[in-house]
This record gives sequence, structure tokens and C-alpha cells, in this order.
Amino acid sequence: MTEERKMNKSAIQRRLIPSYIFLIIVCFISVFPIYWMLTAATNNTYDVSQGKIFFGTHAVENYHALLQRADDTLNFKGGKGLWKIMGNSFLYAGVQTILCIFICSLAGFGFELYHDKKKDRLFGVLLLAMMIPQVATLIPLFRMMSSMKLLNTVYAFILPAISTPFMIMMFRQNSRNFPPDIMEAARLDGLSEIAMFFRMYMPVMKSTYAAAAVITFMNAWNAYMWPRAVMADNRAATMQMLIANLAGGYTVDYGVLMMGVLFCSVPTMVIFFVLQKQFAEGITGSVK
Amino acid sequence: MKKKLLSLLLVSAMAVSVFAGCGGGSGSSDTSDTGAAEESADAGEEAEAPAAEAEEETVNLGGTSSDPNTLTVAAWDANFNIPALQAAEKAFQASNPDFKLEIKEVSASSDVENAVTLAGSSGDMSQLPDIVLFQDHYIQNYVKNYPDCWQSLEDSGIDWNDFGAEKLSYSTIDGAHYGAPVDNGTSVFAYRVDILEECGYTIDDVTGITWDRWLEIGREVKEKTGKALMSMDHNGDDLPYMMMQAEGQSQWKDGKPNIAGNDTYKQIINVIVTGAQDGVILLCNDWTEYTDTSIIGDQVAGVFNGNWIIPTIEQNEAASGKWEITTVPTLSGSEGYAANGGSSLYITGNCEKADLAKQFLAYTFGGGDGAMATYDDALRNGGVITTCVSASKSDVYQEGVGFFNDQAIYSKIVDMGTHVPTIEQNDYHYDMRELVGNAITNVINGGDIDSELENAQSELEFRMEE
Amino acid sequence: MNKKSGVTRKQEVWGWAFLAPATILIFVMSFWPMIQAFIMSLKKGPAANMVWQEPLFKNYTRILQDKTFLTSMGNTFLYLIIEVPIMLILAILLAQILNNRDLKFRGGFRTMVFMPCAVSLVSYALIFKSLFATQGLINSALMHLHIISENINWLGTTGTARAVIIMGLIWRWTGYNMVFYLAGLQNIEYSVYEAAKIDGANGWKTFWGITVPLLRPVIVMTFIMSINGTLQLFDESVNLTNGGPSNSTITMSHYIWNQSLGVGVAKFGYASALAFVVFIMVGILAFINLKVGDTRD
Repeated sequence: MTEERKMNKSAIQRRLIPSYIFLIIVCFISVFPIYWMLTAATNNTYDVSQGKIFFGTHAVENYHALLQRADDTLNFKGGKGLWKIMGNSFLYAGVQTILCIFICSLAGFGFELYHDKKKDRLFGVLLLAMMIPQVATLIPLFRMMSSMKLLNTVYAFILPAISTPFMIMMFRQNSRNFPPDIMEAARLDGLSEIAMFFRMYMPVMKSTYAAAAVITFMNAWNAYMWPRAVMADNRAATMQMLIANLAGGYTVDYGVLMMGVLFCSVPTMVIFFVLQKQFAEGITGSVK
Repeated sequence: MKKKLLSLLLVSAMAVSVFAGCGGGSGSSDTSDTGAAEESADAGEEAEAPAAEAEEETVNLGGTSSDPNTLTVAAWDANFNIPALQAAEKAFQASNPDFKLEIKEVSASSDVENAVTLAGSSGDMSQLPDIVLFQDHYIQNYVKNYPDCWQSLEDSGIDWNDFGAEKLSYSTIDGAHYGAPVDNGTSVFAYRVDILEECGYTIDDVTGITWDRWLEIGREVKEKTGKALMSMDHNGDDLPYMMMQAEGQSQWKDGKPNIAGNDTYKQIINVIVTGAQDGVILLCNDWTEYTDTSIIGDQVAGVFNGNWIIPTIEQNEAASGKWEITTVPTLSGSEGYAANGGSSLYITGNCEKADLAKQFLAYTFGGGDGAMATYDDALRNGGVITTCVSASKSDVYQEGVGFFNDQAIYSKIVDMGTHVPTIEQNDYHYDMRELVGNAITNVINGGDIDSELENAQSELEFRMEE
Repeated sequence: MNKKSGVTRKQEVWGWAFLAPATILIFVMSFWPMIQAFIMSLKKGPAANMVWQEPLFKNYTRILQDKTFLTSMGNTFLYLIIEVPIMLILAILLAQILNNRDLKFRGGFRTMVFMPCAVSLVSYALIFKSLFATQGLINSALMHLHIISENINWLGTTGTARAVIIMGLIWRWTGYNMVFYLAGLQNIEYSVYEAAKIDGANGWKTFWGITVPLLRPVIVMTFIMSINGTLQLFDESVNLTNGGPSNSTITMSHYIWNQSLGVGVAKFGYASALAFVVFIMVGILAFINLKVGDTRD
């Protein structure tokens, strides 16, 4: 059969031509708006509004204007504001990601490898939380954070998002690939349950962690409504808030705005590219 | 390879945390007993984060500052309000050298409104800065619903007679003054005098005329030059509001909408519909199209809006020296005065340095010794025009403006502002605008004006009951 | 799979301890606020001192007369009915094509298809907004190609504004769903496809005969996620069209936001009632989905 395949190689490629064409069209549509963002960041606002699709000469100018706006947001001087805002976004998203994947993986481990009727039922109840509209819980959550004196701290930002049913579900699904037998063997060797989680489960589930980290990081990076409510201090501003400031006001400079959008998109893109393989593997485990 | 990338990423994530002052090792180095303990252990480590973040300057993480000479203020629009606040900071430093104003830029007026809503409804005011900029149309109901969020300016020593009465009517609640006015919402009707001339008219020919006459002139201008005599965004936006105000009337009566069966209102809507149908009024679809395409893009011979539109007009440099401003047409043909938009500064319930805040506001925006310096810089750097009569006596205000054919537009605007009639306001201003806009669209598309206005009125009444 | 016999009491305790932090957090951060929101939905007035509605369920009966909410519900379901099937079918198709081992540059194609997902929600709305502006790129391109003779007002006309939102959603989320399908397909033995090929089944037949049935659990999962996401759609409506023209593109979540923090003094009571209705809708649809798609036991 392999012989036959080799011989038909060119025939197979010819049969795939419609697929290639389709893919090229889809990829063009997928990538074009991103290309447009890149060019817009190098043009002035007039060219952007006129739909110029080539790279312009205003990149440096837009970049300096962006630095200035970021400094203004923080009352900083000397162009460090943008990096501080980036740092904020990284800090919140990073802390949230680490805590989220840790707590949710622990739960996924517990739900699947120690599962019984009661735990399965509890899991079903937790899934209900997925359907709660965010806007409904905004006021009660704000009151809660205020009574716990957590407003303007990183906890107020991350606490509501650390434990999500989706992440628990993902780890629970993936845990099915984790063989229960080796746990038995480990128990006989005298390994404690918590040690099993750290020494056996965590290393085996690497790709699930990667996929979960990518998703959580992107969600945290994109969060806007909730952080704005609980982080009133301008020193805590995130990239999304900077973008919103750039897009507000009587006059909007689209070149600068797109430069901001570019800075806001690069980190998530880089993280996705770096973790792409693991991401795909992690997802694969969760849809088995 | 995979392993390397993964660890690289983890390391860099850690590095960021450490760099930002957050105790590293969250989650991974910890091996305490139960998951719950784990969580609190993590939390303990990260408790340093906020403290470390604050060390760069002496700012509390709350909405206010611990420094006795520093006030915090939240405001929007880096090209308009914020330069005005910076001007005030500088002016106040002349008498109080240690004074600092920390300006928190927000993306829109709604950010401030949300912050007040959250503070007022949770009873936790710690997120509010000392002072907020608040838009005039909404302030009445916010003060009524969340009284604890505000402090009155009654004993601030501001001479209220120095300001346009219409502007103050927004920020006066149950007889008490709450706001220090910043900008001036007085509407201007700006015309391209070169285009009017081409059609045989002068600026005087479009001053103190009826809307019918205005439509006639508009049709002629359209025919001869292809330009509309006015543009407006959405479905008319604030046009009905401003035109009613020029008549000395409100869209509201005793807290209820007053549009169905209101003859004056119907005539005004008819002017807008006729104008749109004849191409005299160009209706744009969104704000950017209104500013960039119709005004900067040179499609109109006239602009009618709050005077904050002037910086937009000035962006079309090719038309420099060709504009002049005047008053608004009315149904009767007398000169009309209107206002649209604008905001004032308010001291919040979270401000513990109320005396300093009052001093600051009175000295600068409130017409005190620093008022001229404040408003002169605010005008130069942000295009913000005052409603303070004494401050408008400064030289900067008397100068002719080259872009407007050397007309002294700023003092003229302040003067016009004193003539704007005070009319009834309502918290549902923007609902009204939205529903009347829909009605106008429907009438333009052939709907019946009476039934459309009745629909708008009943929908509005539905929204207002709770 | 079920190792019940081997589970000792100690392990039982450990099991609960593992899932306790996450469970407690969800109860405190989701369910408890939701209960408070329900209580709030029976009240009126500013949230600092709310009073009970009279009659108690007035906020709920009010919904039925609320034309704007009914419009927003219509809009949201329109997005749901048009966008979700197109997006999911496109995603499965792409996954099927990319799963073909004879295809070259699979990694490159996959990356590009997924790329939109890495763009933040606010950013992509802004990008689409400028692309579809009246003087924007799409119009000038169409003009150059002589497809249209005057600029289309994409975001200012009801039909096209809805279309732009739907296009935006498809653009942003197709790649995301595709990854799930591709992952699902990689769990299917490739030999199944080889066998089908030998049996002479064409691509279309393999697609409906093998891919779709074997992917059923993944499809159910993505369907629920998409329904949930679409019914709670917010950013696109706010950032692309701000709900306009005349509320013809506003979504339910956007309207709830307007009632609570968006426009004027908040009506938290009414907004909570609306939010509860959305919660119930999502629940019902997810339940139906699970029942229809359930293949286990």
C-alpha cells in the first residue's frame, strides 16, 4: 500500500488543490486584519481612516505618542509608563494563570481520580456556574471585595477568576489519560497522596497545563470590565484600560490607537506561538 | 525542545512576577498539606505585591492620597479636560507651592459614573478620588440617589454670580451648589463665510433668522456649492435638544417627557426632517464620520454644536480664516441661544481634605485669584472655554482668532453663554435622544410624525417607571 | 475504571481536600453573588437602600413589556442561529482538511487559522470598526473593484451592521473551535479514514459518515461553549456598533449592562432580573444540547 501511495503522490497532491485554495483563502481572511493592524500602527490617523493598506512613515511618531499617553495615564515621566502598564498586565495575568491552573488542576485531579457519585454530582452543580452572566454578579462581588478590604489589590482582580468550571472540566477530562494503576503502585511504595499530585500528576499533565495556561492567560490579559471596577488606582492600569483611554475622547488618533492595540496583542500572540504544540496536545486530551 | 520552551516561559513568567515586586514561587515551591492551606500560603506571599507597587511614590492604593498637599482627580479626554486640570494645578501652585494634583485619566465620562455607582451602591467610597469630573446632564440624579458620595460647595467662597446661570442650573441640587464649572457648553453656529458669500449672503443674513429662512438659504447653498449647511451625527443627536433650548423650552415638563402633542416640538422635528430630505442637513452615522468626514473632510458650510466642536473645525487647516460664528436660528426669527454638553468638578464623599479641595476649586475654576491663569492655559492647551465672566476679561479671551476671520470668538461665546435660557433637565436625557433619533429616522423614511412622537413618548415613559 | 474497592477512608478525605479550594471559590465567587443578585432582582431603587418591589415579581413581569429587551433578545438569537452553525461547520471542515496527512504546510496553515484568537476582544472590535468604516478599507477596495458604486454604510445600516458583527465573530472564533475539532480528530485512528478511502468514499461522504459522528462529544462541547458565549455576547455589541443603529444590533448582555452601569443611574433590581432570565435561557439550551448529544450509557 505504501508503494501505491508513493506512486500516486502527485495525483494525491492534485486532488488536494481545492483544499489548498480553500485554506489559502481562509488564511488570507484570518491574517489580513492583523496585517492591517500592523500597517495602521505606522500610519497617521487620516491615512487610517482612508483605508491605506501600506506601511507608512509614522511608526516612530505613533510610538512616542503612545509612550506619552501611557505616561500621562500613570503621571509618569520619561516614557517608562508603557512598560509599567505592560508589567501590570503581565503581573495580574501571570499570577492569575499560575493560581488558576494550580487550583483547577488540583480539583480536576480530585474529581477524576478519586471520583464517586457524590463528586460527580458536585461537578454537575459547579458546571452551572459557567452559565452565570458576568454582569449579574458584578455588584454583589464588588460589595464582597469591599467588605473584605480587597479593593485595589491584586486579589480583587484575580479571586473571581481563579476557579472556573471550564478549567476544572478540562483537567478532569485530561485526567482520564492518567493511569490509576500507577497510583496504586505508588501507594504501595509509600508515596503520600499530595506527593503523587506533585511528583507524578503534574509532570505527566504538562501539555494540559500548557493549554490551560494559554487560555487562562489570554482571558486574564483581556479582562477589562471587572478590573476597571476594582482597580481605581491609576498605578494599577492595565493595557486594556490604556486602549480604552486611547479610544475615548472627542478626537481619536487611530494611528496611535493601533500602535496600542499592537502592543496589547503581541504578548498573547507570542505566548500562543511558543506554547502552540503543547496547547494542541492539551486540548486533544480534553476532548477524548 | 518542548521542555525547554515550557521552562523558559515559566521562568520568564516568574521573572516578571519578581520584577514587579511579587514574591515569586507562587504555586510551585509550596508543599504545604491541604489545598486550602496552600491557597492561603500563596496569598500570604503575594501580600507584598501591592506594598511594593506603591513604593515608587507616596500614593495610597485607595482613591485618595496620603500626602496632605496632594489631591486626586478623575477626568476623561487627554486633549480637552486634562490640560485644563493641569493648568489649574499650575495656577494653584503659585499660592501653594507644595500642592500636587494627581490626575487619573479615564476613558469616558461613563467610567466616573460607574465608579460613583459602585461606591454609592456598596457604601464603600474608598475607590473614589478627591474630585471627579462629572457630566452635567447626569449629575442631578446621581446626587439624589447617592447623596453620601458628594460634598456641597456652599461654603467654598465661590462667587456664583460670576457664572452663566444655565451652566449652574445643572450642578445646583435643591438650592445647594455642588459643582465648580469647567467648560462652557454654549452652542455656536459656525458658518463658512466664503461659501455664504459665493451664494450672496453674509454672516448677518444668517443671524436672527427663522428656521424656514435658514432652510431656504441652505437649499440655495446646496444647489450652488454642493455643501450641506449643517451636519450632525446619528439621527440628529442633540439637535432637537438644542433647538428647543433656543426656543426657551424643554423636552421635559414636571419630570415627564413633553414631546407628543407638543406643537413647538413637532415644528422643530419637521425642520430636521425637511433639512435632511433636502440635503441641507447631513446626517452622519457615527461620531468619527461627523467629525472627520463631514467637518474636517470639508462637506459642510456650517457647524452647529457645543463650542467644544471648535478644535475639530480647526483641524481643516485649508479653511483657516474662512469661518465665523453666530447665534442660532429660531422658529420666530429672534436670536437663539443654546448649550450642549459640558461638565463640572465635584468633591466626593471620600475626600478628607475638603478644605484644600474647596480652596483649590475656588482659587482656580471658581473665579478666584488663579482663575485667569487657569482658564487662559486651559483655552490655549485644551480649547476649553470658561463660563466664568470675570475670567473671560483676560487678554487671551479678547484676541481675535485668525482661524475665525479674526473674530474674538471666545469672549463672544462667554457672552452668548449668559443668554442661554435655563430649562428643565432630566436623567433620561440620553434615552430621549436615542428614542427621538429613532423617530426622526422613521419619519424621514415616510413614517407619520405624530404617531412616531407618541411611540417615543410612551417608550420613554415605560423606561422611566421602575 | 472505577477503583472504588481500593479507595480507603484516608484517600476519600484526600479526594475531597483536592477539590475543596476550587469548589469553595466557585461557591463564594459565583453562586453566592448569584443568590444575592436574585434577591436584588425582587427589589428596586438605588443599590445602597433598595426596597422590595410591589408586587414582588414586578421586575420580571416588566420584562415582557420591555420592547428594547425583546429587540436585544431577537438580535442575540439571530446571531446565535446564523453565526454558530456557520462557524462550527467551517471549523469542522478546516479541521478535516488540516487532518489530512498528505497536506503540506499543515503547521503553518493551522497557526494562521488560529491567529485571530490571539487578538484581544477590544482590539479586534477596533480593527473591524476601522476596516468597515464608511471611508474605510473594505469600501475603498470594493469601489476599486467596481463591485459597489458608492460607499456602503456598513455599521450604520441595520442589516449590514448585524452582518459585520457576525463576520467578526466568525473571524475571531472559528480557529479556536477548529483546534478542538482537530484535537478530536487526532484521537480518531487514522486508519478509519484510510479504510474509507479504499471503500471509495469521497471527501463529503467521509465528512458526514465518519468525522461528524465520531466528533459528536466535541461538537456538543463546542456547541454549548458557543451558545453560552453568544448569549452573553457583549464586547462586539459595545465596541463595534454600540448597539446601533437604533438598537438593531444590541445584545442582551449589552442591554443589561446599560441598565446597570451603562447609561444613567443604575437600575440594579431590573438588571438582575434580566440577568436571571439570560441565565435560565443559557441553562435550558445547554440542557437540551446535552440531552440531544448524549451518547454515553
